[in-house]
Amino acid sequence: MIPLGLLFALTVALARSYHTREDALVRQWFQAGNRDLSAGQPRQAFEDFRNALAYDPENRLVQLRLAEALLADGQLSEARSYLVTLWERAPGSGEVNSDLAHVSVRIGDGDDAARYFQAAIYGSWETDPARQRRNVRLELCEFLLARNRTEDAQAELAALAADIPPGDAGLLEKTGRLLLQAGRPARALAEFEAELRINPRQGQWLEDAGNAAMAAGDYAKAETYLARAVREHSSEQAEQLLATARDVMSGDPFQPGLSDQEQARRTSRAFNQGQVRLQKCAGGDAAPAYPGQSLTDLQSLNRDAQGLRERATLRLLTRDPELRKEAMQLVFRIETATANSCGQPSGMDRALLLIGQRHEGNIP
Amino acid sequence: MSEPNAPIGESQVPGPTAAPSPPAENEITGNWLTGRPRSFTLSEGNLFLLLAVIIGLFSGMAVVCFRITIEWVRLALLGSALAPSHIRVLLVPAGAGLVVAFLVQRFFRAARSSGVNQTKAAVYVFDGHVPFRTVIGKFVTCSLAIGSGQSLGPEDPSLQMGAGIASTLGRRLKLSRDKLRLLAPVGAAAGLAAAFNAPISAVLFVIEEVIGTWSASALGAIVLAAVSSAVVMRSFLGSEPMFRVPAYTLAHPAELLSYAVLGVVGGFLSLAFTKIIVFFRPRLRGLPEWTHYFQPAAAGLLIGFVGLRVPQSMGAGYSFIDQALHSQYTWEILAVLGFAKILTTSLSFVSGTPGGMFAPTLFIGAMIGGSIGGLEHHFFPQINASVGPFALVGMGTFFAGFLRVPITSVFMVLETTGNYSIVLPVMISNTIAYLISRKYQDVALFDLLARQDDLELPSMEEQREQVVLRVEDAMRKPDVASLQAGDTLARALEIAETSPEEILLVRFPTGRWASISRKELSAKAGELPNSTLLREILSTGRLPVLHPDQRLDDVLRYIQGHEVLPVVSRAGSRMLEGVLSLPDVLAAYQKST
Repeated sequence: MIPLGLLFALTVALARSYHTREDALVRQWFQAGNRDLSAGQPRQAFEDFRNALAYDPENRLVQLRLAEALLADGQLSEARSYLVTLWERAPGSGEVNSDLAHVSVRIGDGDDAARYFQAAIYGSWETDPARQRRNVRLELCEFLLARNRTEDAQAELAALAADIPPGDAGLLEKTGRLLLQAGRPARALAEFEAELRINPRQGQWLEDAGNAAMAAGDYAKAETYLARAVREHSSEQAEQLLATARDVMSGDPFQPGLSDQEQARRTSRAFNQGQVRLQKCAGGDAAPAYPGQSLTDLQSLNRDAQGLRERATLRLLTRDPELRKEAMQLVFRIETATANSCGQPSGMDRALLLIGQRHEGNIP
Repeated sequence: MSEPNAPIGESQVPGPTAAPSPPAENEITGNWLTGRPRSFTLSEGNLFLLLAVIIGLFSGMAVVCFRITIEWVRLALLGSALAPSHIRVLLVPAGAGLVVAFLVQRFFRAARSSGVNQTKAAVYVFDGHVPFRTVIGKFVTCSLAIGSGQSLGPEDPSLQMGAGIASTLGRRLKLSRDKLRLLAPVGAAAGLAAAFNAPISAVLFVIEEVIGTWSASALGAIVLAAVSSAVVMRSFLGSEPMFRVPAYTLAHPAELLSYAVLGVVGGFLSLAFTKIIVFFRPRLRGLPEWTHYFQPAAAGLLIGFVGLRVPQSMGAGYSFIDQALHSQYTWEILAVLGFAKILTTSLSFVSGTPGGMFAPTLFIGAMIGGSIGGLEHHFFPQINASVGPFALVGMGTFFAGFLRVPITSVFMVLETTGNYSIVLPVMISNTIAYLISRKYQDVALFDLLARQDDLELPSMEEQREQVVLRVEDAMRKPDVASLQAGDTLARALEIAETSPEEILLVRFPTGRWASISRKELSAKAGELPNSTLLREILSTGRLPVLHPDQRLDDVLRYIQGHEVLPVVSRAGSRMLEGVLSLPDVLAAYQKST
C-alpha cells in the first residue's frame, strides 16, 4: 500500500504541475492567435490556435477561433470540417452556427447558409445574446436580399425592426436601408424617423429619411427631410433628390386642392416636356422610313402625341378633366417608354416618371 | 441404473494457462474498522483478481507519469510550439540520441528491444520474470527519446512497464509459477490500456498477440487490470478518446470500394515498411559495439534534417493525426507526411532507440489513408467521404497490415476515436491489408524481431492458422454393430466372432458405454451360462465418449488407459459414429505432417 500511495502522490503532483503548465500554454497561444487574427494575419493566428489546441484539444473556444482563422485565410473546407465537429457537439451554439453560415455563404451553399443563420438566431450565445442574435438576423437579411429572396428578407426584417433596442441608431440605419432595399419604403421611413428622434440634425439620416419618403411616394415629407438634409450637410445626391421632390410637388396635376386652371397648366407643361423627351429619345426614328412600315413603340407614341397636340390647348385642358387625364396618361407612357429605351431620365422627366408611378392605375 | 457417460467438451479441457490452481491460500490480516486484529483469507484465484486491479492502478499511474514526463521533456527540449525552431529540430534529437544510447548500452540494455516480445519472453521463457530495472530503463530512455523528437510512440514501452510492474508485484507476493507467468500479460494489458485509453483494444491485443488464448481465468484478470488502469488514466488525463473525429455516414454501399482500394494500398505499404525494418535492423545491430553508442544520435540527426521540412514527422505525432482526421491537409501533403514518417520511424527503430511502433503506425496509416481518400476524391468526385474518414480507416488498415493484429486493429480505431459509424469501411480495409501482408510476408513483424533477437517465441499468428486435427480425422468406422448391455453371452460371442476388433464396445440403453475384450468374453463363456446378460459380467467402468468435432489434442488426455473409445453423435450418445484408439490418433498426426 505504501508504494501505491507514494506513486499516487507523485502522479498527482506531476499531473497538477503539467495541467497548470498546459493551461498557461493554452492562454499564451490563444492570446497570440487573437492578436494575429486582429492584425489580419490569419495564417499565423491559425498556427497559434493549433498550438493552443495541442494542450487543450477539447477547448471549444480555441477550436472556434481556429476555424475562424481558417475561414479568414480562405481555407473553407478545413474551416467547415472543424466547425462541423463543433456543431456535432453543440448544435445549438449560436457562434458555431453563425460561422458555419459564413462558410456556407462563401462556398455558395445558400440553403445551408440560411439554415445555419436561422439556427444561430435561435441558438445560445455566451455573451450578449440579444445583440448577437440581432447581428446574425441582420446578416441573414443581407444574405437573403443578395440572393433576391425578397419575401423571406421582408419577414426577417420585420422581426428585426421589432427587436431594435431604443437608441441603437446604427442598427436603425442598417435596418432602414435593408427595408428600402426589400421594397418596404414606408417601414424604412419609420426606422429613419426613429433614428432622427435620437439626433434630428444628422445630415445622412435626414437624407435617408428623404430617400425613403420619396420611395414611399410621400413627396411632401421627402421635400421636408431633404431640404433639412441639404442644410445640414452638403450632398449632391441630396440636392438632386430634393430637386426631384420639388419637381414632383410642383408638376403633379393630380395633387389635391389644385384649381382646374393650375391642373391644366401643369398638364400642358408635362405634355410639352414629354414631347421633347420623346423627340430626343427617338431622334430620326420618330416616323416610319416608308409608308406601310410597322410602327415602333416610340413612333406609335409620337403619332399619338401629334394627334393630341391639336386638342391639348390650355383652354381645352382647363375645361375638360378627361382630356387632362388622357394627356397625362400619354405623358406617363412616353416617360416609361423613353426610360426603357434611352435610360433613366433626370430633372422634370424623372419627376414625371415618379408622378406616373405615384398615380399608376389610380389617376383621380 | 447407471448414469449416462459425461461427454468430454472443450470446456472441460483446461488450457495451459487455465489449469486449476492449487488450493493455496494467502492470508491477509487487517484491523480496518474494529481496531482489533482480524484475519481473513483469500484463495490464490481471488487474490489474483484483486492483484489484477492493483496492477491496473500501479500501471495506470506509471503510464500517466510516463506520458507527462515525455511532455515535460518535449517542452524543455523542443519548446511548446508544434513546429519547433530549426536549431532545436537539428540538435535535440541527435543530442538526446547520444544520451539515450549511453544509458541503454551501460545501464538498461533490455530497454532496446520490443516490449511486446519481452513480455512474451517473460511468459514463455523466463517464468513471468520481468526485471524492475527494465521498467526504470524504459521509462527514462523512452521519455528522453520520444520527448526529443525521435519518431516513436509510448504504447509499447507502456505495455512493457505494465508487465514489469505486474511481475515485480507477483514476485513480492511469492505467487505460484503459473500465476507469475500470467501476471506479465495482465500488466501488459494494463499498460497498453492506459497508453491508448482503450481498454478493449488492450485486452484484445494481449490475447491476440501475447497469450493467444481465451482462457476464462486469464481474461478476467486482464480485463480487470485494463479497466482499472484506464480508469486511473482517465481520471488524471481526461476521459476523451484519443482522437476526435467528425461523424461519418456511408452514403452509398459503392463507397466501400474506395475503402477496399485503401486496404490494398495500405497492405502493400505496410508490407514495405516491415521489409525495411527487418532488413536494416539486424545489419545495424551487427555493426561493431562502439557504433551502438552513436546510432541513435545519427538517426536523430537525420530525423532532424527531415524535421526541418516536415516537423510533423517527429515524435509520436498524435496532434497531427488529429489534424489529418479533420481534413487539415491536402492529399499531397498527407502523402509527404506518410512517407516522411516511414523514413523517420525506420531510422529511429532500426538504430536501436527505445520506443514503440504503435503511434507511428497510426500516424502513417492516417496520412496514407487520408492521401488515398483525397486522391480518389480528386479523380472521382462522386465519392462522398472527405479526407477525414479515409485517414481514420487508414489508421486501422496500417495497424492491421503492419502489426498483424486484425481484430485489435478494428477495435482500436473504434475505441481511440469513439466513433462506431466507420466500422464497415474499417473492417473491409483492415482485412484486405492483413491478407496482403500475410500473403507476401510469411512471418509477422513481432516474430521476425524476436528471431532477430535470438528468441524463439511462439507465434500467435501461426498458432491461429495451424490446421486443427479433430476426432473425425482419426476415427474408424465400427466394423460390426456394437454389443448391447442386454445381449446374452451367447449372442455376444456370436458377434465377437465376426468382428476383427480385440476390444468390443458395449452400449447401455441409457447411452452409457463400456468395453469388454474378446479374451474376457471367452473366459466368461467357460464359467457362466450362455443366457447370462452382458451387463452382469462387465468389469470395466463407464467409458468417456468422444464427439467427431473435438480436437484431437484434447482427446489425448482421456484416451490413456483405454484401448478404444466410442465416438458418438452430439445428437444422441447412443448413436455410434466411430471408434478411436491411441494408434489411430498417432496415425492421424503422422499423416498430417
